[in-house]
Amino acid sequence: MRGISVLNGRYAVTMDMYPLQSKEFNRIYKFYDHLREGRFTTTKCNDCGVRSFPPRVICPECLSENLEWVDLPTEGTVKVVTEEVVGVPLGFENPLIHALIDLEGQLTHFARIINCQTGELKEGDRVKMAVFPVDPVPVDGKRGEFVEMERVFYAFEKVK
Amino acid sequence: MERNVCIIAGGMSQWGVRQASQRDVFQEAGKACFETIPALSNKDVDGLIVASAYTERCSFQTHLAPVIAEYLGIKPRNICARVELLCASGSSGIILAYGLVKAGIADVVMVIGGEKLYTPQRWEIQYSELASVDHDWDGSQGLGLPPPAFSMVAQQHMKKFGTTEEQLALVSVKNRRNGLNNPKGQFQQEITLEEALSAKAIVPPLKLYDCCPVTDGAAAVILACEEKAKYYTDKPLVYIKGTGQATVNNMSANMPDWTTWEALKIAAKQAYEKAGVKPSDIDVAQTHDCFTISEIIEYEDLGFCEKGEGGLFIQEGRSDFGGVVPVNTDGGLLSCGHPFGGTGIRQGMEIMKQLRGEAVRQVEGARTGLTHNLSGFIAAHTVLIYGRDI
Ligand SMILES: [Zn+2]
Repeated sequence: MRGISVLNGRYAVTMDMYPLQSKEFNRIYKFYDHLREGRFTTTKCNDCGVRSFPPRVICPECLSENLEWVDLPTEGTVKVVTEEVVGVPLGFENPLIHALIDLEGQLTHFARIINCQTGELKEGDRVKMAVFPVDPVPVDGKRGEFVEMERVFYAFEKVK
Repeated sequence: MERNVCIIAGGMSQWGVRQASQRDVFQEAGKACFETIPALSNKDVDGLIVASAYTERCSFQTHLAPVIAEYLGIKPRNICARVELLCASGSSGIILAYGLVKAGIADVVMVIGGEKLYTPQRWEIQYSELASVDHDWDGSQGLGLPPPAFSMVAQQHMKKFGTTEEQLALVSVKNRRNGLNNPKGQFQQEITLEEALSAKAIVPPLKLYDCCPVTDGAAAVILACEEKAKYYTDKPLVYIKGTGQATVNNMSANMPDWTTWEALKIAAKQAYEKAGVKPSDIDVAQTHDCFTISEIIEYEDLGFCEKGEGGLFIQEGRSDFGGVVPVNTDGGLLSCGHPFGGTGIRQGMEIMKQLRGEAVRQVEGARTGLTHNLSGFIAAHTVLIYGRDI
């Protein structure tokens, strides 16, 4: 037996690189539901009009709870590219490529670029959101069984 | 009634890749600190603030302050708590201790901070760093370790202001040379400009020597009200004159400007105003050189030079000994290393020594000094101003 025997096969939230995203654990679970539909969304305040990112349960401007979901662009233009070749966190590929993306003037997002080789992405290139499944979470169910909580997350990829 | 507050002692453990536990390095730092002030014993300390970011993550220990109090034989009566602001945890601890002493809530407070970051398997370091940013958003994009963010900052600064890779490298050459002034720092080796420029890439344009290392270690200082300071030491008194700590965003998507750090300008303005000094009054500074580009932007946003002239500031030697304002005189993060909670405390120690005239390499006649930390995803900035005059 290697490692810590009591953890064998068990899930520890403190070792998870992705957020818990189901309704039981998160009030903004709709963001992840929208990702599954190919939509990149956030919340906007119906009282003061301020649009926040990431999505919230209260407006950080006026503290209203009267929020609605709005769509953000799923395509944008690359402003700066970074290529990490050393020290990539476990769970991410090497090289780990990121880009500062201008989402049609609505949001500047520093995001991971997947399906991309070193030197391939340049300033001015178009990128689009890509949604992919990530490790499901085994949640305690009845009678000691685990219920698999399916999950997704997003990155961006070059428009070819 | 508000009181004047002095920094009266400071010491640190050996920093580096340590064959030691978290509590080992804290004990070493505490002892080193007490040794610099023979008239004061651990029984005279009435408050303890412990600064540590990754204590739960790397040592599985919460409620750390009472652990450290017990190990150092301190029995605090007025405050015994931990503070966390990642890379600025130490300077946050000093600000809090300053406020408590100034207000009369405590008289003699030790601020001790550090980290044990090297765990048996190295992958854990990079993995743990995913907790340093907005975990659910930036962390899930793989933006845990900061090099990609600072690479982007460097690329933009180079494009906008013509800053060069050579100017970046000169920061690491200076700080590695200054590191020889701190025998307890992680590195004790100078590097040449050629070595810096030809080092392996981490995230281009950032290369090995452009990035501070991962470090185990701790540091401690003692703050006291002026009356107690005079009682416990006959060394020149060094006062805390002004502080500022600011944040305007946390997640990368909300960063207002990548090459001008708005929160730094706000924190600096607060500290300068409270201290009643101007950037040109600063004789010596320890700034947060987590990456070479950081120090260059800090020259600018702390007001040591005009915006965009940070590259020239290092190239012309204006941040070196004999220059306008020597920066990172004990080697900074690039040479001493960066055990998050320890860094702001090491900086405070070095400024105390410089203002007392007892530094290993002295800035002649220094009377006013500054420390600066940035923390997280360039998300918060902390500035303290120390001085011989109040
Ligand atoms: Zn609102």
